[in-house]
Amino acid sequence: MFPYDEASWSVVDGAMFAGSGTALPGLTTFIAAVICIAVLVYGQRSETAKAKAFD
Amino acid sequence: MEEQFAELVAKVAELEATSGGASVTNTMFAETFYYLTIPLMIIIHVGFLAYEMGASRLKNVLSSGVKNILAFAFMIPTFYFFGWWVYWAFPTGLPGAPGPAGISGIEYANAIALGWGDSAQYMAPNIADNASGVFFGAFALFAATTASIMSGAVIERIQTVGFVILAIVLGSFAWVVAAAWGWHADGWLVTKFGLHDFGAAGLVHAVAGFFALGVLINLGPRIGKFNTDGSANAIAGHNMPLTVIGLMLIIVGFFGFLMACVIVPGEAWSWFPDKFSTIYGTPITLSALSFNILMAIAGGIIGAWVLTRDPFWMMSGALAGIISTASGLDIYFPAMTFIIAFSAGLILKFCADWLERRGIDDAVGAVTVHGTIGLYGVVMLGVMASGFPALQGAAGEVATISIMGQVIGAIVFFLVGFVPGYGVSYLLKMFGMLRIREGAEIAGMDTVKVPAQGYPEGIPPSAVAAE
Repeated sequence: MFPYDEASWSVVDGAMFAGSGTALPGLTTFIAAVICIAVLVYGQRSETAKAKAFD
Repeated sequence: MEEQFAELVAKVAELEATSGGASVTNTMFAETFYYLTIPLMIIIHVGFLAYEMGASRLKNVLSSGVKNILAFAFMIPTFYFFGWWVYWAFPTGLPGAPGPAGISGIEYANAIALGWGDSAQYMAPNIADNASGVFFGAFALFAATTASIMSGAVIERIQTVGFVILAIVLGSFAWVVAAAWGWHADGWLVTKFGLHDFGAAGLVHAVAGFFALGVLINLGPRIGKFNTDGSANAIAGHNMPLTVIGLMLIIVGFFGFLMACVIVPGEAWSWFPDKFSTIYGTPITLSALSFNILMAIAGGIIGAWVLTRDPFWMMSGALAGIISTASGLDIYFPAMTFIIAFSAGLILKFCADWLERRGIDDAVGAVTVHGTIGLYGVVMLGVMASGFPALQGAAGEVATISIMGQVIGAIVFFLVGFVPGYGVSYLLKMFGMLRIREGAEIAGMDTVKVPAQGYPEGIPPSAVAAE
């Protein structure tokens, strides 16, 4: 996962995060966004259900 | 020609003068950088104090505060007396031989970290030394953080002196050994196994969390916590808002904690002339920390909210988010940080409930938030960042991060925390110094030993407003 051919920090001159140069950043960004949306949908549904119990 | 030569000499002198000024500026910046981490880390203690007092019942609120404040007070001198020495003496393990980086071993520690003899010049005001005091200060505050982590778990039934002894063993010895082994360029866990724990998920949080577990086993639960059939009762603290604000303050302080994990460039002791580095000598930027800490806080809160809806667990989730990613805050991609932190927030409550079902009364969830999640964070880095060089050095000459190395580190951190926590608390129990007497616990520890009242007027209705 080290984003440089040589496993040494002396060759690093730019991006140095895990997954740099692969599809991983895009994939994880997409998953993180999906998590946020899914949590909001789930939160809205469960809160509505709880509130309805007091109607 | 002579004129040109004189001009050249003058120019060189001017450049030298400018460069000297830059060097002084850099030294002042470096000293100020670490100096400012100290009050920021004290905010962690403000947070722990509020959190712990809020989680205590009204009858114990001040005694919980006294205990927490005393832990901080004893941590500083004991870390000065021997904790700092331990850090520099044992990175290579016993018997304290010098390591390859030349900044470790008993001889080295004797030369720089003792408060007497020639070494005392590095442990006192010294116009030629702008580094030792601020480094000591930052490490002493790391030490105090470990004591505060344990402090919350044991509230409402531990004796004050017994607790202070435990805090000293944890803060000025146990975690320092872990730091020497895994948070030092000569540390054997780093040089041999490629352990990477940039933000001390394992060597601060897990060590303190499992030290607390060892203590809790001998201390036992609070009266009324468990029923005869083994089921647990919730013992609510007297002030949830205070607890939640305390947790938020801990998070504020963590920016200072993680800032203090960075080595400033351009000094004789720096790894680089022009780049920040980690304690291992690997490059880092404060921007990396900014991206990742914020994403970790957010992920942890959201994960905990999904399953608990409880502000206490949500803010504990924020802490868990930081702790679960602390090992790799220097190299994680921010969205990856968010996902790991989210998962930590999700599993948090399950882990705490699992522990409670085994009869452990951890009043604030410290074993789970710091211990379990700390180890989770150490191992997750092995999953996500295998292959990264763990140290500065040529390819093939330094160890790289691996799952195995991180797992070995996690096991060592568990043992370095749990074994002394269990052993010393067992001895204290034998000598009757661990748990307060039953009558005093029922009466309330404030009435027994604090000559003051937390809320002398109770919580009366507001006074009538002026017309």
